[in-house]
Amino acid sequence: MGNRYRVAVDMGGTFTDFVVVDTDTGKIKIEKVASIPDQLPTQFVKGLNSFDLNPRDVTQIFHGMTVAVNALVQEVGAKVGLITTKGFRDVLEMGRGGRKPVYNFTARGPEPVVARQFRREVDERMTFDGKVLKQLDLEQVDREVDFLVSSGVDAVAITFIHAYANPLHEEQARQQIARRYPDLPVSVSHDIAPEWREYERTSTTVLNAFVKPVVKDYLTGVEQELAKVNYTNSIAVMQSNGGAADLHTASEKPIRTLMSGPAGGVIGAKALCDQLGYQNIICTDVGGTTYDVAIIDDGRVLERSQTEIASRPILASQIDVVSIGAGGGSIAWLDHRNGLQVGPRSAGASPGPVCFGNGGTEPTITDAQLVLGCFDPEYFLGGRMILDLSAAESAIRKKIATPLGISVMEAARGIVSIAETNMANTIRTKTVQRGLDPREFVILAYGGGGGVFACAVAEELQVPTVIVPSSPATFSAWGILAADYVEDRVRTKVQVFDETSASQIQAMLSELTSEAVGAIEEYGFERSDIDLLRRFDLRYRNQEYTISIELAAQWLDSEAMLKNVRADFVESHRKLYGHGSADADIELVSIRCRAVGKIPTPTLTAPEHIESQKIRHRGVYFGSSDKPIQTAVLDRHTIGVDESVAGPAIVEEWTTTTIIKPGWNCRCDEFGNLILTQSPISSGGH
Amino acid sequence: MNNTDVVLNEIIRNRFVSIADEMATTLVRTAYNPLLYEVQDFSITVMSPTGDMWSEMPGVMVFSQAFPHAVRQGIKRWGDNLSDGDVLIVNDPFETGTHISDTNVYMPVFHEGELVAFCGSAAHWADVGGKIPGGWCPDTTDTYQEGLCFRHQKLIERGVINEALWDLIDCNVRVPTIVRGDLEAQVAACRQGSIRIRELCEKYGREVVDRAMSAVIEQTHTAMSKAISALPNGTHSASIRMDFDGINRDGDFLVCLKTTIQDDSIRFSLDGTSPVAMGPINLPAPCTKGILASSIKGILMPLDPCNAGHAMCIEYDDLPKDSLVNPSWPAPTDSYGYIVGCLMELTFRCLADVVPDKIPAGCYMLTGAFLGKESDDENESTVVSDALHGGNGALFNDDGVTNQLVGNGDLPNNPVEVLETRHPIRVESLEFATDMAGHGAHRGGFGVRKKVTMLADDFSLNFVIENTKDTSAAGVQGGGDGKPGNLTINPDSNNPIVYRERQGALGPYPKNTVYEVVTGGGGGWGNPYERDTHAVLKDVSNDFLTVEQAAETYGVSLIKKAGTWAIDAQATSLLRAK
Repeated sequence: MGNRYRVAVDMGGTFTDFVVVDTDTGKIKIEKVASIPDQLPTQFVKGLNSFDLNPRDVTQIFHGMTVAVNALVQEVGAKVGLITTKGFRDVLEMGRGGRKPVYNFTARGPEPVVARQFRREVDERMTFDGKVLKQLDLEQVDREVDFLVSSGVDAVAITFIHAYANPLHEEQARQQIARRYPDLPVSVSHDIAPEWREYERTSTTVLNAFVKPVVKDYLTGVEQELAKVNYTNSIAVMQSNGGAADLHTASEKPIRTLMSGPAGGVIGAKALCDQLGYQNIICTDVGGTTYDVAIIDDGRVLERSQTEIASRPILASQIDVVSIGAGGGSIAWLDHRNGLQVGPRSAGASPGPVCFGNGGTEPTITDAQLVLGCFDPEYFLGGRMILDLSAAESAIRKKIATPLGISVMEAARGIVSIAETNMANTIRTKTVQRGLDPREFVILAYGGGGGVFACAVAEELQVPTVIVPSSPATFSAWGILAADYVEDRVRTKVQVFDETSASQIQAMLSELTSEAVGAIEEYGFERSDIDLLRRFDLRYRNQEYTISIELAAQWLDSEAMLKNVRADFVESHRKLYGHGSADADIELVSIRCRAVGKIPTPTLTAPEHIESQKIRHRGVYFGSSDKPIQTAVLDRHTIGVDESVAGPAIVEEWTTTTIIKPGWNCRCDEFGNLILTQSPISSGGH
Repeated sequence: MNNTDVVLNEIIRNRFVSIADEMATTLVRTAYNPLLYEVQDFSITVMSPTGDMWSEMPGVMVFSQAFPHAVRQGIKRWGDNLSDGDVLIVNDPFETGTHISDTNVYMPVFHEGELVAFCGSAAHWADVGGKIPGGWCPDTTDTYQEGLCFRHQKLIERGVINEALWDLIDCNVRVPTIVRGDLEAQVAACRQGSIRIRELCEKYGREVVDRAMSAVIEQTHTAMSKAISALPNGTHSASIRMDFDGINRDGDFLVCLKTTIQDDSIRFSLDGTSPVAMGPINLPAPCTKGILASSIKGILMPLDPCNAGHAMCIEYDDLPKDSLVNPSWPAPTDSYGYIVGCLMELTFRCLADVVPDKIPAGCYMLTGAFLGKESDDENESTVVSDALHGGNGALFNDDGVTNQLVGNGDLPNNPVEVLETRHPIRVESLEFATDMAGHGAHRGGFGVRKKVTMLADDFSLNFVIENTKDTSAAGVQGGGDGKPGNLTINPDSNNPIVYRERQGALGPYPKNTVYEVVTGGGGGWGNPYERDTHAVLKDVSNDFLTVEQAAETYGVSLIKKAGTWAIDAQATSLLRAK
């Protein structure tokens, strides 16, 4: 068996990206195949076969997938039954209430995934501190599962009140069901989301049950197709938390893979910026439909513990990616006030922007950028596509310029500015939430549209530096190769954080540690190769929001733990909120333990450089100037290491375009990344 | 106006929306008080130098509609003596429009020496020094009993903290640490807003910013005019009677609303509304007008970021002087929220036939059981503010939801697991009160039934409810009314005690006392006999209706086949032919 290649497969809605790293030469190859919904496993192997390599020589395949999230969004999954504590079957349908936006008096929440008749109650009860108040009635469990199975249910979820504090009853119920229906897939709340808040935990467990059969079928299919071409090494599936899991875990807990795709880009951003020496990064991923933002603060990827898909909450550690409807395909339209709006509706890949000539009639950001001269209609996607400039112009004229009484050029500029300021607003809101100042960050811009918007967004936020990595359109796939195996364990138990509870906290911590480490060991890692990350979610007594504090390895004895964790907590609180008492009571809410099985990061290599420099020029409209500026247009491969290009300039490559605005300078670093910096005098935007 | 300004206007408008959002984030994440970080009992407003609303972030929508009125009073008081670095405070209910616990903190924003904007927040304080801890006084008879009153004093003057005033606040509230924390949060929100507004003026110039927002308001006004012009001219009226004012059980407390749509304007008259009450259910004028404006905005343009333009087509007859909806100082106003809810419902009733696709049937009225106890040897003092969800009204094309009050918007409920961890109580069950919903072709939302055991001695209990006799949850076009909620002490004992009206401090109760609180259901829409028979079948299968109710109320006959319910088509058409 060889171990020459590492392969990343990043499946998106339209295309699946493949990145192959030859570890002998460091060379990287890229390919794309269409994502055909009912043939995903065969497309997977087809993409792999398009490279000139023997699958036996591949060490490992890393996979980012959208199967789970698509099943949720399209609501195609199992018929789920729920077993829950007596008195609480309506929790799933009641939700937490509330209505957004508040003025929408006719708003409705989502339908419950499990109808009331399939939400079955059994006698049992735990107290909040994990004591058995009422024994589980196993005969009732039998009766209710019989009912569910006879009603055609093909997956079962179990959620009992306070099961995160003591999973005994859920375990008993699971075993009872397994004895009678060994093939019935069961998802259990303490296993899927062991955190308090019964609605969110129930929702997560039920959704896991809902997507499990779909994901399992898909992953089994991939495994079988790969076996046919004699690939039997491991397949690592990317999870929302930025770490990989094996096929078995991904099939059992598919709810953890929802953000598989966006996570890849952020992990890549971290790997790249670690090597380049940047600590504070705003990651921006621009596709056809969305603008995704994530933050790396002081070398740490910012995470959150809850998200929503189609208004349904999901508890799981995941990279905090915020997404707005602004991408190349986002549609410009006039609202009831005749106000110009851009997105969130997108023309998507089909019909796509008007200029693609596939039947699109509504003007998009890409159409506006074409009109402004950002793209060469004869040389889009490195000449793979010819764009219809006059169709783009007439769509903008008809739908925007004429109704507003402005010129086509003004309308095009307006569409792009509104999109850019919406992007900047998203980053501002995200950083304020975390008490961060965007001016202390660099922007890493990837995805097909990253380089097009980056300078303008950076100017708006006064961010001095932008990095456009090599092959930005497939950067997320490359990022997956940088993922490590990760297992998270969490336990919620609210307790005072002081001497009285220190020994109990340490006992829980070591229990969680051995669970997480054990799971990584099962992937074939030695204990000595496993890194540990321990975190406490803490708050001042009476507060609601917690702050997550990392526990350093040398703080494990109780005195050091109490002292140092408190000091860090107080400091973080002051940074985030401007105040924080040094000696007020602190509460520990959750303990989190992450075990990491390290995999070597792919090394960066210098890009291919083509000497012959043929510079073209074309007129481009920048900022508010009424006249086009003659702008140099370069092919990315012609920019050599350490060469600089002064803006205005446009850098083109197969999958993307980078715009260097006037007042900006662009340098190609030793790994082929474009480093864009703003000249200090320009305050931008006037 | 240069035509390309239409783009810049849009950019500046979006920026103000995101400034309000950033201010809200700062407030929520800094606050000490669960009413702010959990219950969202606050609102952010950004205004022009003359007090026109530029953007807002509710929270509670009526706060921001009334905020400009309060700021204009501040401008009147201080004239040219507002300076860069000032932060002002006002909670006089007759200026802010709500009750004294809601404190407005705002800041004039200066750029290059010129006043360019105001920004601020209204927030429910944890305590304001009135007769009852934490506000919510059900039986005050004047404002003085309700708490410490502010009228545009400078909390901070030219950047310097007015220590004497902060000290005075410390001396007059029961939980000074929490109140100070919230006040600091409100100041931090103002500062965040002022930094961003100054940046905007720096970038585009203050005249451009001001002109852009005037244009946005004018555009919004034009769009509202167009939306109202599309409605048929006409006059509609409705009224509702309150149970009692908290003091006087013999009075008549009628709220009347008349709407007149005339071309591109809507005029409100509240003539016929009862005189000011002795107890605290009175609603000051700024909020009376504010909630009517919010209702119209939400009905006609639910998704639009709100600005002054949304209220410019609305006109008011002079509000009846010294009435429930226009009291004068020092009339008590602490329970102002009930009439706020009623005015919204009355607006809906008046317009239900005009824009049926934009209006829900009647919603349950605020219902809640507030538990409290002093500290003892085993437990600390604790307050459980459990504002429960209930039935919202049905829509013209769909069933109503079980959710927060329409007027309160985005207010989440308390998870059972969090409640039990924080307080010595145990929730025995939490389920839909299906029998409270109003029937109809589209059913009203269900109430909620929650049964709780007190696990400590000496809990006292406040039961909050209104409109139990003349329901707020009215059905529309033949739909049934939602039923009002109630409270039962020891429901499973031999002598349960049932309360159907608002109650002050009940108890103290011994440990293991059980209470069951039920919230009201929403009103139905349309004749129940027109309900889709398959929807009725689903309701019976899900235990939302009994098979008898299906036959009697909905005219749908069901039979059980192999353990599952099925429609008996023949019997159903016979029933429905009646």
